[in-house]
Amino acid sequence: MLEMLSYDFMQRSLWAAALVGAICSMIGVFVVLRGLAFVGAGTAHAAFAGVTLAYLVGLPPLPLAILFGLATVWVTGVMEEKGQMKLDVSIGILYTATMALAILFIGLMKGYNAEVYGYLFGSVLSVTPEELRTIWILGFIVLCIMVVFSKELYFIAFDQEMAEASGVPARQIFFLLLSLIALTVVVSLKTVGAILVFAMILIPASTAYQLTHSLSHMTAYSVVIGVVCAVGGVTLSYAWNLPSGPAIVLLATTLFFLSALFSPKRLKRAAAL
Amino acid sequence: MGTPIIRFSHATFGFPGVIALKDITLEIAEGEFVGIIGPNGSGKTTLCKAVLGLMRPLEGSLQIFDCSCEELRCHHRARIGYLPQKGRLDQNFPITVLEAVMMGRYGALGLFRRPAKQDREIALQALANVGMQDHHDTALGHLSSGQQQRVLIARALAQQPQVLLLDEPTTGIDITTQHSVLDLVRRLHRDLGLTVLLVTHDINMIRPQVDRMVLLKTRLFAAGAPEAVLKLDILQQVYGKDLVITEKDLIIVEDYHHR
Repeated sequence: MLEMLSYDFMQRSLWAAALVGAICSMIGVFVVLRGLAFVGAGTAHAAFAGVTLAYLVGLPPLPLAILFGLATVWVTGVMEEKGQMKLDVSIGILYTATMALAILFIGLMKGYNAEVYGYLFGSVLSVTPEELRTIWILGFIVLCIMVVFSKELYFIAFDQEMAEASGVPARQIFFLLLSLIALTVVVSLKTVGAILVFAMILIPASTAYQLTHSLSHMTAYSVVIGVVCAVGGVTLSYAWNLPSGPAIVLLATTLFFLSALFSPKRLKRAAAL
Repeated sequence: MGTPIIRFSHATFGFPGVIALKDITLEIAEGEFVGIIGPNGSGKTTLCKAVLGLMRPLEGSLQIFDCSCEELRCHHRARIGYLPQKGRLDQNFPITVLEAVMMGRYGALGLFRRPAKQDREIALQALANVGMQDHHDTALGHLSSGQQQRVLIARALAQQPQVLLLDEPTTGIDITTQHSVLDLVRRLHRDLGLTVLLVTHDINMIRPQVDRMVLLKTRLFAAGAPEAVLKLDILQQVYGKDLVITEKDLIIVEDYHHR
């Protein structure tokens, strides 16, 4: 198994997986607590639509993925704010619309493009040095912003109206959170793919939720679980010749079900009864 | 009476198509304990939101700490400690008592500043003020309703506010705990010199606690000392003819079953 570390592509894969695992799991804490689960899913498909458009017109995929991702979350945020539509409804509509756009753009392409499908299903094992550099830079920016604004992000997750009443610029922080979700999704697209990035955002945080009553502990556990699942999944995919994205997600899912089964919260409740 | 810190001047508040509070002129002085009463839909929560700067007047003006609503900034809001109506708290939210109270410091700290040891001490002192210091590591969802209310009051105190705004703090808790919460609020008002605005449905319980009562019915119906506001003719105009005042000055609804 250690021989895999001698390969450059495996070193890049493991680094990319660890970074993506950390970022997704950290933003996942706020997604789970604030109830924004489907925003991640919808944004992933929007970002994928940006990637397909970029390949169709011959542009680099990253800027258009970011543009589509940010536009989707901002439109969703405005619609929820204006009370015109519930968040899950507006995300559902945008989810299907952007997926339809992605399929349209793929249909308009001349011939089959394997790189596009790499963004849909994930291809961490083919991460290039340039892509790893981009993941490092974007990932570092996202992590720094989350750390700097963590207290405000926790507060709006707990009670946004109380946060605003207490003097926190809650509306701006909410839109910052949505933007961070979009950037996290874009950073993670190549590694886990548009279909499964939603799982990497949701599952580590949901697993951590089972294990603690403390916000700070939940965040720490989520990051550890995210990194372990991502790196573990890549290792398993190497060892057993499995697709990497599904290996990561299935490992995370297994840990989630184990945590739910043996959750200290659930066991304490059962003991009290 | 102290310096007015909240001034409504012919202010009207509402939503598209609905006027929630019309033409209200009212001053709240520093250090006052004011009870805000009125039937459902009378504008009590609208008044709270207006004081918090979350609603701008459609007409007239509202000044808070010598700032108009439009000029109200985050650091002004941080000077108002707010206890929202019960029922919005997610019992499963993974947060300890101390983490919840520390959130009261975030508005005062502002962006880019991390909570320091001093902020933790302020939060622990706030917990001590409400008698919950021994529970700082307990999950908030594990506490009783009354204990949770105390913790949320502590969260508001952690802001080191000038004004404490409580929206129906005794709803959903038993009568003994209601009295202990109100006694706590009265003690905080006295010992910390806070200006307190308390919205409630329980007129009998709040009457002995407050300096002044404000009676709302989508407008300011009456304001003044409790004995001046809680007159039968005034209350019956607001709540209906079934309201009576007993020999022991209790305000109740006449019991249809015993007519």
